[in-house]
Amino acid sequence: MSDHNAPELNPTPGERFTKFLKRKDVLETLGWAVFYTTGFVILGGKFYTKWMPTMMSTDMRAIERLMVIFTWISAPVCGFVLSMATYTFRHGHRGDTPPEDGPATRTNRLGISLFGVMSSLLALVAILYGLIELNSSAEAATKDAPNAMVVEVTGSQWVWSFNYPAQGVTSNELMLPINKPVIFKIISEDVNHSFWPVQLGVKADANRYQTTTVQTKPNKLGAFDVKCAELCGLYHAYMETNGAVVTTADFNNWVTAQGGHTA
Amino acid sequence: MTTLDNRVSSRPIPNPSKSLITKLNAGTGLVVGIIFALGTYYLLNNNSSDDATVNFQHYNRTLLASMLMWSVGFLVGIGAFIGPWRWLIGKDLTAEEQLYLAGDGQGIKRYFKYCTDHKVVGIQYLVGVITMLAVGGTMAMMIRTNLAMPGGHFITASVYNSLVGLHGITMIIAMIIVATGPFGNFIMPIMIGAADMAFPRLNALSWWVLFTAIPVLCSAWFLGGIPTGWTAYAPLSIQAGPGMNAFLATIIIFAFSTAVAGANITATVVAMRAKGMSWNRVPIFVIGATISVALAVPAFPTFMLAMIQTALDRTFMTSFFDANFGGSGWLYAHLFWIMGHPEVYVILIPGVAILMEIVPVFVRKPLFSYTSAIVGFAGIAGLSVLVWAHHMYMSGWMPMLNGPFMVTTEMISIPTGLIFLVILGTLWNGKPWLKMPMLCVYAFLWNMLVGGITGLYLSDVPADNYLHGSMYVTAHFHYTLMGSALTGAVAGLVYWFPKMTGRMFNERSSYVAFWFIQLGFQVLYLGMFTAGAEGQPRRVVDYADTFHVSNMVSTIGAYGVGIGFIVLLWGVVHSWRHGIIAPMNPWGAKTLEWTVPYPVPLVNFDTPPVVTSDPYGYGKAVK
Ligand SMILES: [Cu+2]
Ligand SMILES: [Cu+2]
Repeated sequence: MSDHNAPELNPTPGERFTKFLKRKDVLETLGWAVFYTTGFVILGGKFYTKWMPTMMSTDMRAIERLMVIFTWISAPVCGFVLSMATYTFRHGHRGDTPPEDGPATRTNRLGISLFGVMSSLLALVAILYGLIELNSSAEAATKDAPNAMVVEVTGSQWVWSFNYPAQGVTSNELMLPINKPVIFKIISEDVNHSFWPVQLGVKADANRYQTTTVQTKPNKLGAFDVKCAELCGLYHAYMETNGAVVTTADFNNWVTAQGGHTA
Repeated sequence: MTTLDNRVSSRPIPNPSKSLITKLNAGTGLVVGIIFALGTYYLLNNNSSDDATVNFQHYNRTLLASMLMWSVGFLVGIGAFIGPWRWLIGKDLTAEEQLYLAGDGQGIKRYFKYCTDHKVVGIQYLVGVITMLAVGGTMAMMIRTNLAMPGGHFITASVYNSLVGLHGITMIIAMIIVATGPFGNFIMPIMIGAADMAFPRLNALSWWVLFTAIPVLCSAWFLGGIPTGWTAYAPLSIQAGPGMNAFLATIIIFAFSTAVAGANITATVVAMRAKGMSWNRVPIFVIGATISVALAVPAFPTFMLAMIQTALDRTFMTSFFDANFGGSGWLYAHLFWIMGHPEVYVILIPGVAILMEIVPVFVRKPLFSYTSAIVGFAGIAGLSVLVWAHHMYMSGWMPMLNGPFMVTTEMISIPTGLIFLVILGTLWNGKPWLKMPMLCVYAFLWNMLVGGITGLYLSDVPADNYLHGSMYVTAHFHYTLMGSALTGAVAGLVYWFPKMTGRMFNERSSYVAFWFIQLGFQVLYLGMFTAGAEGQPRRVVDYADTFHVSNMVSTIGAYGVGIGFIVLLWGVVHSWRHGIIAPMNPWGAKTLEWTVPYPVPLVNFDTPPVVTSDPYGYGKAVK
């Protein structure tokens, strides 16, 4: 594999490694690897933060963070793949006759082992990160549950309706008080829908006769979108409504105006 | 195998005897099929009840039965049952008849017959697949055109939903057969040094059964379309109009076809390999195709079962999936995804395997770590049956199991890594010959990288809380299915075109098509990823103004892809008719299909080949 023909008497692994690093193709490939890895690290930090909507709950914040971190975990993989691709592509052979034969390398135990270990480690990091995130959101939900407000969400072709049992209010708009945990109990009157308050970063299907539950805590004032994320027939695209996170006072005023009672 | 012995014998081609076999073809199939369908329809169609529900169920029964009977009738009319019938009465086809069925010396006519020659079946699949891709692609262009602007007034919501579903199922069917159909049938038997498939008549059967599914699927359009997408979730599917029957019948017929084809391909690879071709000398495409069909064996019957149950719910008010009568929509979702996720790899693995076949030829190096390639494919296939519920994280079915399904799903990244390792290891230290098939390898590396990484986000439960059901998902799976698997199949088309048609694929059109498709593809799905990140649900006819820019970008990219595929299609037609006559082995490859001339003789090899090494013996010895 070495470019040199000089016979050498058992070079140490260290010597072989330094020699490997001095190869022109290795250097150029390493350059590309750094370029792509950096590129994806920057992209990961920019793309999702730019395009994902306002984060209005800790769940949504966790999601955005996760997207960024997963991109960072993948950045070295991108660097590895794209650098080797770029190098060989740049030094490819053009023309109508096949190129000369390359070295008849059939395997490389060290390379394969390193690759196997590295890719398994990266997968492990992603798995652990996901599990930890899943667990911490479940823990937060359990902690918040006792003082949560319940909203019963009903999906039907093609409207959402929201019932606040404690307040005695039913509405087609989803009003939520800030910093108050909320439990959505979701059901469908007909086919499957999927309840998606976009900026809150939670989602759950609405099934017939089976209540699904999802919990979050809005922590930012403002309007958000409620959409349907499961194809539910003709007007699926239009099955959306407005939501808003408001101050507790505003929420109470709204409840009163709707004819409900505040606790 | 007796078939072959008979054929090799130097019997003269029989003069078209009075045998029924010589008179049957796709035309008679069509006539008998239509008679069967119409006959069934008129026999059953008597809506006597006053109850609209009862009438509707009866109408569904009538339509379904007519569609399935069309398929049976066509097969009767084309002569598919002559062989089985003879067996039933204790005989078999005569040697002359078998030779006749192989279609030797019958020119273009044999493509319209129940022809057992694997090369004819391969060409039939190729033309069928190209047609399906063209139809599915046109639907995609209509979808993207409608989505160019908010407002969605180019087509109505009902037509749009139907387009989404029909585009989906047309493409899924086309992609399942895109590699194993044309190349698995035409090339693979030659690659392993066989004279034909293990069961030539089953081979013809698999194609013609599949063929009968096409008009059935088209009929959905005239029966009011389908509102369900290709996932056909219950209870939406139970509520759906008569077009749904066409969908159900299509899947039932298609699943039958894949079961037959899968059994045949597996048997061929196991039993018909040339002398000396031990398992470690089998070309990697053959390994990939076999793993793919083996994975399909448990997957598609599940799909078929789910469709039969849906049909029963619709026609007899059983309640497998209808919650109103005690059924469960989750049960459907399980059955669907137990098929649906392995199906992704049924599609992907042969596409990747084609590229792995191509890389050593164009880099002039042995395939790097053949064992890793097999471990990669097998690992992916093995894990893929354990991940299905990642499509159901938000369904509420069993939130406790989301974690385990996340773990299995993310573990797939490890064998997938091996795929990259094999291709990159082969490229490294080599000087790739940058012909169009080789460019496809590079496109694959990028597309699979993007598809894989975005799949990582989607497999993660918290992130999926946001991404599930959004345009992000749509972009992701197009990167894997279209960007990776279809790119592999297109590379295979250009690579094997000389062997299948005797002519070289027009080079200029292959490059123009490649760049239009691949660059357009990046623009198309960058726009769609962005729309998804912004929070646009998928399968929507219309969207809020905020998503306009990303959708517009996406549509522009789609037109690039569209132009690319038109150029590619032109390249196929033009090269097939006027292309440069190909030498026997234009790429200098070492697999067996390049040792036979064009047109490939009926039994492929004059003398059965003997294999002494794997087909990757390229390269200068390493000191
Ligand atoms: Cu919907
Ligand atoms: Cu899946």
